[in-house]
Amino acid sequence: MAKIEALGVDVGSTTVKMVAVNDHGEMVWHMLEEADPRAADQVSRFLAEAARRFGSLNGVPLVATGYGRKLVQQAARQVTEISCHAMGIYAELGHGGTLVDIGGQDSKAIRISDSGKVIDFAMNDKCAAGTGRFLENTAGRLRVPLQEMGQDALSSADEVPISSTCTVFAESEVISLIAQGIPVPAILKGLHRSLVKRVAAMISSVGLTAPLMLSGGVVKNPAIRAMLAEETGSAVTLPDHPQLMGAYGAALYALRIAE
Amino acid sequence: MQTAAVRIPGRIENILSWKEQGGGIAAVFPIHYPRELLRAFGYLPVEVWGPPVVESVSSAAHVQPYVCSIVRNGLSFLQSGGLELADILLVPHACDSLQGLGSLLLDFIHPRQPTLTLYLPRGRRESDLSFLAQELHALYRRLAEIHGDSPTEPELMSSIRREEAADASLAQLHRQRSRLPLSDLAFYQLIRSREYLPAERFSQLASEALDQAGPITERGIPLLLSGIVPEPMALLNLIPELGGWVAADDLASCGRRLYPAGTSQDPFLRMAERIIHAPPDPTRGSSIESRHQHLLSLAAESGARGVVFHDVKFCEPELFDLPDLRRQLAESGLPSLLLEVDLNDPLSHQLHTRLQAFLEMIV
Repeated sequence: MAKIEALGVDVGSTTVKMVAVNDHGEMVWHMLEEADPRAADQVSRFLAEAARRFGSLNGVPLVATGYGRKLVQQAARQVTEISCHAMGIYAELGHGGTLVDIGGQDSKAIRISDSGKVIDFAMNDKCAAGTGRFLENTAGRLRVPLQEMGQDALSSADEVPISSTCTVFAESEVISLIAQGIPVPAILKGLHRSLVKRVAAMISSVGLTAPLMLSGGVVKNPAIRAMLAEETGSAVTLPDHPQLMGAYGAALYALRIAE
Repeated sequence: MQTAAVRIPGRIENILSWKEQGGGIAAVFPIHYPRELLRAFGYLPVEVWGPPVVESVSSAAHVQPYVCSIVRNGLSFLQSGGLELADILLVPHACDSLQGLGSLLLDFIHPRQPTLTLYLPRGRRESDLSFLAQELHALYRRLAEIHGDSPTEPELMSSIRREEAADASLAQLHRQRSRLPLSDLAFYQLIRSREYLPAERFSQLASEALDQAGPITERGIPLLLSGIVPEPMALLNLIPELGGWVAADDLASCGRRLYPAGTSQDPFLRMAERIIHAPPDPTRGSSIESRHQHLLSLAAESGARGVVFHDVKFCEPELFDLPDLRRQLAESGLPSLLLEVDLNDPLSHQLHTRLQAFLEMIV
């Protein structure tokens, strides 16, 4: 059985992720679930699972991140998702650049120095435009499975512009487009473009330093990756587990405590 | 109100006490105005920065939704009777929204109290000084009409010197803040009492606080706070909770009103000099470069590692400058963060995260 030295948990708005690292800072285990409103109970369950796999967690520090980080009483420290995502991606990819994390309810652009330090950041957290929730809502309205909407968008040669950046108004616009008989893939492509333009504006506010790195659950969507590269003119780089970068970074912060 | 060092009289307590002594109250909207002129006529200036958490529905009939909450709340506060104790209203022209408020009061709302306005020049040239001195003279004549009596030149000079002494104490508090046994919140409660206390009472409080100055104490990651007003004041508890402390400020309500003493023996020119020579302020037309240099200088003196721009939503004079100002600061190696607030909203979770991330970034 692998020995773990530290744990990180990312209590996000859509999912909760936990990562364990060994003494080299390598990710040796992770767990991911849809977010439960009772976040404290959910984290306890994750810890129980980690204990079942690795034995007693006594002396194994835990750092919490994500919007629900303050709810994690077991954590030795709470660190923001900005610092944790930067820490995780730098450890995984080994270089600086501009990181974009598109999460369920917010998105962020983080400029990371060659030594892994956060130089600047911007967050889109005032409305759902530019976040995963934007796609989730409209996917629901179009009755397209979330996992398939990126591929469907890319399959379309046509694209209709979505003028509303507001999620609620975009949904109304989508209904109107359906009523006009516009094919769903063209609408999907327009929706992705709308989200990507929003994120690209955020990237320009912190300044794009290549390479453009992506994290967060939404970047599993191939249309987001392709369109971001197109909008910014920069190739995009992904870690193996984009959704786990926050929790991984938190585990690395915890490893510093262990050391 | 009790801080670690001194007991600060509350706003209402102070107003009632002043009125009991036969004085009048001037309700003054932000930002720059001559306290000494109002006091020479027997009016105690009491400033109206919002106030925070006011039901602002009534003002919605008069101002656009994109007008800041300082103006919206101030108007609603007036309409709901919150300024009933005031004898006159003064609306300086700090920005288009406040200028609009002055016009609304004069042309449409017609409050019970006489409403006075004051136009401020947008520069620091000789012509600006002369213009402002004439504006202050016009304000003097208007106050004389309302009051029925007018102070003599020696009385004006005496009032000016009293305010200069209070401003010198205020500047001393700013310089000594790292030596005072006051939390960020207690420090700002003390210096913001200058918004409503008579100058002589404020000078006395400042002196009591300064008597308690000790060695410099490390309080966390030093920050420079910029913007309009430190509201909601919960921000001043949040900053230390996250490991920071306010080492200096460039707030319109605080550090940008460290008025120096004047030099002229003409009271109107002297009052004008004090306002014109105050620290840079976008509402007085200061250039971005002068603001940049001022912030760098404040950061160097205080050891601040970053600037937090804490701005009220829709504040055009502030927000227009920010992209260039923040870029210049970044090029000078001073990181910054923008937090936008509405006076009616509690501090959001998102604001909390941004501030914490900024502190993690500059530590």
